[in-house]
Amino acid sequence: MGALEHPPILSLPGIPEHVTYMWVAMAILIAIAFAASWRVELVPRGAQNFMELVLEQHLTLIDDVIGPAGRPYLPLLATLGLFILVANLLGLVPGLVAPTANVNTTAACALIVFVTYHAIGIRTQGARAYARHFMGPIPWLAPLMIPIEVFTHLARPLSLSLRLFGNMTGGHILLAVFFFLMGFDGMLGWALRGSLGGIVLGGPAALLMAAFTVGFVYPLKLLVAFLQAFIFVILAAIYIALAIEAAEPHH
Amino acid sequence: MRRSQILTFVAALAVPGIALAAEPGGGEGWLKPFAAIAAGIGMALAAGLCGLGQGRAVASAVDAMARQPGAAGRIQLAMIIGLALIESLALYVLVMGVLLLFVKWPA
Repeated sequence: MGALEHPPILSLPGIPEHVTYMWVAMAILIAIAFAASWRVELVPRGAQNFMELVLEQHLTLIDDVIGPAGRPYLPLLATLGLFILVANLLGLVPGLVAPTANVNTTAACALIVFVTYHAIGIRTQGARAYARHFMGPIPWLAPLMIPIEVFTHLARPLSLSLRLFGNMTGGHILLAVFFFLMGFDGMLGWALRGSLGGIVLGGPAALLMAAFTVGFVYPLKLLVAFLQAFIFVILAAIYIALAIEAAEPHH
Repeated sequence: MRRSQILTFVAALAVPGIALAAEPGGGEGWLKPFAAIAAGIGMALAAGLCGLGQGRAVASAVDAMARQPGAAGRIQLAMIIGLALIESLALYVLVMGVLLLFVKWPA
């Protein structure tokens, strides 16, 4: 698989590339934040307008999923969402690497969500009430419910990290295979070698694959980038909602 | 399936095993042939079943949206979440396939 790669554009010595591009994503987000809040006006224009729209959408999402009690958690969820979105979009540019295509970055985000929603649950309900909801609705069902609940809670960060990592890396592998098949080692190289079969079959095939890549694969990757960031945020919101809502009496 | 078909299929899977056993003392990368078969069959099964599951999810969502156009927004949100969760199951198989194929397992 290493032969399908080309080295990324920006590479600091001794630092893994997913860390470097995480810093690039952070720099982009900080620049957007500065541009939006440089001069805060009552009637927003430009970057401030755009960021207010984004944050209002996040607030609507939080109100839908968690309710008004979830508003203090907007910074966490919006930061995760915006960071994962920018990180995913970095992978679309040829020559740049998506930090979320590395399982370390996605596992870090998933672990943050895991620790945070337990902390939120414990702080909202108290440690004993939170531990008691592991035992399920009926007390004598506890020996069955506790392993199920523990397994469910352990599966959540695993699935969060693997879902994001798999989507990004899968798209990356797909794109790498397409570039290999239609590039100078594949169809285009066949056409350029001058044989009749190469020009008749290889040329149109390379053109067709290029059209397919630009017209279908790239929009698909764009959609997956947005969708996976959205899914991460909404699942994090759902886990927080589940951690908080057990305080209400079951009906 | 008839028993002869099943036995033929199992025998085809045993061919790499016999070839590897003939090598002097399990060579380097004894896992490679089986890894390729496992990754291929696993991913094909996962993709097909994921397609079936997502098809059912979208079908129910579209039916519900046709019955109650007013709730279309909420139904679409639930459909997107459901599709992403089903898709992640196929993704676990993809990750396992990549792991099998591209990691140098110790002999």
